[in-house]
Amino acid sequence: MAQQTDQPRTDRWNTPEMQAYRREVREATFTKEGMMVAFPTCFPGMTTAIVPDESRITSLDVTPAGVVFGGTSGYRAHLFAAGFHGIMGIVFDLGIVEDATECVAVCCGKTHFAAFVNGPGGGRAIQAPLVRMDSDLIQEWGFQRPTLKDLGQCAAGEPVVHAVADPQSNLIVGTTTKHVFRLSLTTGRIQIVGEAPAGGKLARASARGIVGRDSERTLWHFDVRTSTFRRGALQLPEGEWKQPLSWARDTQSGVLYTADGAGQLYSFDERTGFSRPLGQVPVAPVGPMAVTLDGRVFGFCGEEMARLFCLEPERKKVTPLGGAASVIERRRYGYVFGDAVTGRDGEIIFGENDNGGHLWLYFPSIQAKQAGV
Amino acid sequence: MKNAMTIHRRDFLKSSILSAAALPLAPQSASAGKAADQPYTCRFYPFTDHPNADTCWSLSVGPDGRIYASACAEGSPGGTVKLMRYNEHADKLDCLFDLADKVDDPGDSGRATQCKIHYSFAPSMSDGLMYMATHLSGPPIDLPTYSPWYSWHDPKRCFRGAALVAYDTRKEAIVWWDTLIPKEGCRCLAFDEDRGMLYALGYPRDHFITYDVKTRRRRDIGRIGSINGQAIFLDKKHRAYTTSDYGHLVRYTPEKDRLEWSPEPLPHDRRNQTGWHSVFYDVVASPDRECVYASTWIPQTRLMRIWPNEAEWPRVEDLGPVTQERDLSFPQSMFVDHCGGLTFAADGKLYYVASRWRDARYNPLPPDHEEREGMVCRLDPGTLKREEVTLLKHPVGTAQYVSRGAVDHHGDLFFGYINHRGKPAGIFKVTMPADRKKENAHLPIRVWG
Repeated sequence: MAQQTDQPRTDRWNTPEMQAYRREVREATFTKEGMMVAFPTCFPGMTTAIVPDESRITSLDVTPAGVVFGGTSGYRAHLFAAGFHGIMGIVFDLGIVEDATECVAVCCGKTHFAAFVNGPGGGRAIQAPLVRMDSDLIQEWGFQRPTLKDLGQCAAGEPVVHAVADPQSNLIVGTTTKHVFRLSLTTGRIQIVGEAPAGGKLARASARGIVGRDSERTLWHFDVRTSTFRRGALQLPEGEWKQPLSWARDTQSGVLYTADGAGQLYSFDERTGFSRPLGQVPVAPVGPMAVTLDGRVFGFCGEEMARLFCLEPERKKVTPLGGAASVIERRRYGYVFGDAVTGRDGEIIFGENDNGGHLWLYFPSIQAKQAGV
Repeated sequence: MKNAMTIHRRDFLKSSILSAAALPLAPQSASAGKAADQPYTCRFYPFTDHPNADTCWSLSVGPDGRIYASACAEGSPGGTVKLMRYNEHADKLDCLFDLADKVDDPGDSGRATQCKIHYSFAPSMSDGLMYMATHLSGPPIDLPTYSPWYSWHDPKRCFRGAALVAYDTRKEAIVWWDTLIPKEGCRCLAFDEDRGMLYALGYPRDHFITYDVKTRRRRDIGRIGSINGQAIFLDKKHRAYTTSDYGHLVRYTPEKDRLEWSPEPLPHDRRNQTGWHSVFYDVVASPDRECVYASTWIPQTRLMRIWPNEAEWPRVEDLGPVTQERDLSFPQSMFVDHCGGLTFAADGKLYYVASRWRDARYNPLPPDHEEREGMVCRLDPGTLKREEVTLLKHPVGTAQYVSRGAVDHHGDLFFGYINHRGKPAGIFKVTMPADRKKENAHLPIRVWG
């Protein structure tokens, strides 16, 4: 084994290249831009957090008012509501879903939300009212756990894979391993609308269509307005498409973003189809991502120890932003993330899919003013 | 938590044969003790066969009753760890082998190196094996530094993984090795010999790992947090305990196959700490195995006694701080304020090394003291009285940071020590007074690193 003596090492390790490497490691390893804050699954100082191996956050949704609803996976599945604005600052554990070890989707409607959970008996839908969180959590508060209503299996014996809401119609569209179904949050009724082999998450596109994986090269499409389900409706662009899909939706334009197995990012507009590749993330696969109000896409990529990235679609530019680390409120590294939503003010909220999972609030950096603008 | 601290730090000073009457610490406290009856003698043994070694992160007694130490080289790009053993006949350290060579992961691989064995020696009495697992931090041979987070996805640079080595102390040979935790280092290790199960914590992801030595099967039980506990201990029910970031006990029960978190944090300084970072630093079992004594990896660590066999969650006694008072507004260096090397000796007393340092206000040591010192302390488990029995004296550096301690089969004390700037690295031997020694003093053996 070759080893160095002290003197040449001193010189060798102080070259500009080595200094640059040290600087790169120091500055680029964690949250290179913006601010990450890991928030525990509790009312800090007042309640205990969800048990660590029951707190792997795997699904999130958000109401227009910015209240986040989510579900966990692990030894048991919990549902929760969270608020971070005004005088909230809480993750409220809504309760344990009996006989469930995985929550694959949470979808908010007008007055209720539905969670889709899996357990030994298959996949079920659970409905509960949207909880109000209007107490002054600095002064005094009152809470009540809502009743979690079991709406039953979505397709007999089949685990649910994912679901998304169309808030306008108070309708949810979901998939099991073999079927596509719809759930009316108004009636609580579940209906199978077609067959399709599932492959990852669904998304609500720009013209109120719901899309999901149909085959290696195609997507199915469900039109919420007409309840029309079409298999093989859309062709995926050239790329590696063997992995489950993940999506992010620009709430301003309805444009979707997804990635292939190699980490190439694409946008999808229901009217114009898929874009050409917009950029490639540093490590595949692409995990949860969400779009902030100025159109930038933030997400995690890579397994085991995910890396944050930023896609600027108009510039077709991907910037690696390092791993997640929180030093405000909680000192914690973030490694694995299960879902992401865009918060009220454009902050990105990631659900940490790990023991002791936290909600990670990412506040993107404010862009410098362009010269001459 | 029950507070059983009847011996305050000042009582400790008063009760010590070395002590002065009051703070600041007496100028001659340590040397005065030695002058009193010279009961303990201390000698340093450098890692002369591994000049690149800069630290000794692990020291343990083997199943053969001899002392094994890891000569670690984490500060040298391409540096690797060598296994040392104290040769009682020649009164020197023997270099047994370079771990990296033995596990086919040489220092010039271009990856982060097999640079150290952290708190990861675990002896097996029935077959004479000494298990040991490697840890990371040493940079690749051509880079100045290594971050496991930065290089996680880099196949050329990422650490290959903690190597688990089964060394037969009877045959003096490695009988097998395996990768214990791919891409990660092993921060600490424990061995349940009855069940043939090793327990480990991975770094940096802080996952709890089990490894069956018969089937060579590894399982990842899940993440604990962000800061490794530096020790795992076992109770009589074969449960494994470590700690979370916030100072709670974390327990793995094989029958449940699940990690559980205790409701209360371990003792900490409530004036300025919350329990965060009160992870185990060192844990030693009492000779009767009814309780363990522990220190935590935090400034102003407190000594504690934990009774794992008594209730649903162990009863924890706060035995009080082991290091000096200091400025609470200052983030005290963890390299200065430290307690490690917990071990029981043949006299039935707990020995450990606590640091002492010069502080203009709280401890203005006189000039004949080092800036930082490592006090070898002796605690009577019955009365909880403590005394300082000697100082560790390094030939050129300071010796306030001791990683682990052990008693060999003849009853002498050994300590591994850390001080990168204090090369040569090595270990200390503290020869015990004759009336405090006995043969097979290392039994019952410590089964965790």
